[in-house]
Amino acid sequence: MRYTRRSALALAVLSTASAALAACGKDGGNANEELSKDPVTLRFTWWGADARHQRTQQVIDLFQKAHPTITVKGEFKDWNGYWDSLATTVAANDAPDLIQMDELYLASYAERGALLDLGTASKYLTTGDFDPNALATGVVKGKQYALPVGLAAYSVVVNTDLLAQYNIALPDDSKWTWDDLKNLGAQISKASGGKVTGVQSWGFDVGGVNIWARQAGASLYDDNGKVVVPPQALAAYWQYLADLAKDGIAPAPSVTIERASAGLDKSGTATNNSVFGTWWNTQLTSLTKASGKNLKLLKLPGDAQAASPGAYFKPSMFWSVSSRSKHPAEAALFVDFLANSQEAADILLTDRGVPANKKIRAGIAAKLTGTDKAAADYLDAIKVGKPPRVTPKGASNVEAILKRHTEDVLFGRATPQQAAEKFIAELQAEINAAA
Amino acid sequence: MTALGELQRLRASRGGPPRKRENKAAFLFLLPWFAGLLLITAGPIAVSLVLGFTDYNLIQPPEFNGLDNFNRMLSDERLHSALRVTFTYVLVSVPLQLACALGLALLLDRGLRGLSFYRSAFYLPSLLGSSVAIAVLWQQIFGAEGMVNQVLGLIGVQGRGWISDPSTALSTLIVLNVWTFGAPMVIFLAGLRQIPVMYYEAAAVDGANRWTQFRKITVPLLSPIIFFNLVLQVIHAFQSFTQAFVVSGGSGGPSDSTLFYTLYLYQRGFNNFDMGYASALAWLLLVIIAGFTAVNFWAAKRWVFYDD
Repeated sequence: MRYTRRSALALAVLSTASAALAACGKDGGNANEELSKDPVTLRFTWWGADARHQRTQQVIDLFQKAHPTITVKGEFKDWNGYWDSLATTVAANDAPDLIQMDELYLASYAERGALLDLGTASKYLTTGDFDPNALATGVVKGKQYALPVGLAAYSVVVNTDLLAQYNIALPDDSKWTWDDLKNLGAQISKASGGKVTGVQSWGFDVGGVNIWARQAGASLYDDNGKVVVPPQALAAYWQYLADLAKDGIAPAPSVTIERASAGLDKSGTATNNSVFGTWWNTQLTSLTKASGKNLKLLKLPGDAQAASPGAYFKPSMFWSVSSRSKHPAEAALFVDFLANSQEAADILLTDRGVPANKKIRAGIAAKLTGTDKAAADYLDAIKVGKPPRVTPKGASNVEAILKRHTEDVLFGRATPQQAAEKFIAELQAEINAAA
Repeated sequence: MTALGELQRLRASRGGPPRKRENKAAFLFLLPWFAGLLLITAGPIAVSLVLGFTDYNLIQPPEFNGLDNFNRMLSDERLHSALRVTFTYVLVSVPLQLACALGLALLLDRGLRGLSFYRSAFYLPSLLGSSVAIAVLWQQIFGAEGMVNQVLGLIGVQGRGWISDPSTALSTLIVLNVWTFGAPMVIFLAGLRQIPVMYYEAAAVDGANRWTQFRKITVPLLSPIIFFNLVLQVIHAFQSFTQAFVVSGGSGGPSDSTLFYTLYLYQRGFNNFDMGYASALAWLLLVIIAGFTAVNFWAAKRWVFYDD
């Protein structure tokens, strides 16, 4: 019978989990104790692409050379598999000691007690060189559960080679509006005969929604984690996306959905099928590599006119330590190496975002070239507002909900207004259910 | 007296200790399987029943919440979408699949040359059908720039992203399931071989044409096999997971059009930290499958013919 076999895996995890939970309610060791004299093995998990795996392994080798009694074992996955596997290993009381964490999941893990308060590890882990605003993004309920690795900002990536090909001038991004983007996109789609579209549709990442809400003077969540974005603001966002698709400025809905699900390398920007696309500035290097053309970062449309800037510094990711780690002191020591060592930074560069550690950021500035440098310069060039609140516990899945409603709008199964109201209700229900 | 002694000796040599020893060996050999059954199957199933009555977020210990999970099902719109999608999938793909299987079996049964080759060729998809590789292949074939659209382009038809359009996504998965008709086909073939040729000969003498022979001889005599395949494939289809998971990237999209029941269950449990509810959903699925199977058995009394 397939049923029993297929579900067996999930259920096996469950039964081990409940047994483990019953047996071990106790937390791991104390992060300020002496380092162990005996050999210690730490497990370190992250998501990412091949280049990141290689760079990270080099940093691990450096650390092990400096600390011969500590072995760090890397466990790396891609983004989707990463979160499924993290949830199951944490449930099975088998969480890796060191966890690369994302803003979407931080509160869901921290508020449930799965992460170590890094404030208790001050003996081995210093955070003095960090930008205080950046540091604050890793605080949940008053405790520093995570240390931001790098910063990223939302941007528009433009393919300047294609612009030149269609004889269209680069827009002045110090004052352009969303309407300008739409008009330029229409010109491109017309000039190419629809082969290349002006704009790559978005509506799948929470960054785009944050920007839109912030330019309207609102935010997705309030400080208490309640969903407060006004339905009109969201409806306008989806109306814009629907118009792009309807007017042929963005590809047909099914093409958009397919590219959005296929990942960065198959996106309209990476395959030179769309001229403008919204991306995090740090993705410029990977996109340029995939497209083989000249790509450039532009400031967000509408930000010059908006009451408050839509742009903000998003922590690209965090370092965190499992609260059940048997070796929190050694784990803290390794996080310190990742966060504060110039040697490590020289290898990692901007792969995990432009470093949030200001000293390190200055230290690698001279080593950055090409797109890495452009990404770092972009952060200095833009005006940003206060970052949005960390994603509330229970809302980790916001992008899946967002994607579904974007699909409903693009395929005409819901009006932008209906989608906005349902999205808000659904997201709030997830947060309530987790409370 | 001597006879009795002989009997005792016989018993001692045959039925006595040696058989016990054999039993012991059998139990020993079965032990790994028993252990697996208890630890990996029965145990977790029991645990999931308990978890179905709890609020369990995978990280903190579960808390009992009575029938909350089951009450929640009534107003859970995505669950209702998932049920709609799953019922459509089962009710459309299983009859189509069985029809294909029976049709092919009838063809192959007519003594084709190279029968074993064809049999293997048609059986192959069922071995691969629920694998990740085939789902990925499907994604390519039905993609916006996939094979289907290239062929359609040759005859001047404008295609679309079949799996990324909510009005066609489920159909591509139904086609995938129908394509895996090999397993029921092989069983049908075996069943057809059991029907004595003399029935057909007698019918032909009486002037029955092929269609009448099929309806009056093949179908009744094959009905237990049809029933067996039906029950099995319905259960199988209810539990489909891999295809939808891979093709939609785990989302059940676009617009929840491929949100199979098991996929929704998985999302609740592992993406939303909602394992209590997911466990309750697993038990609802068990009840639904049991219900369908019971109806099948009940209806079978009316159309399945046993020749004994």
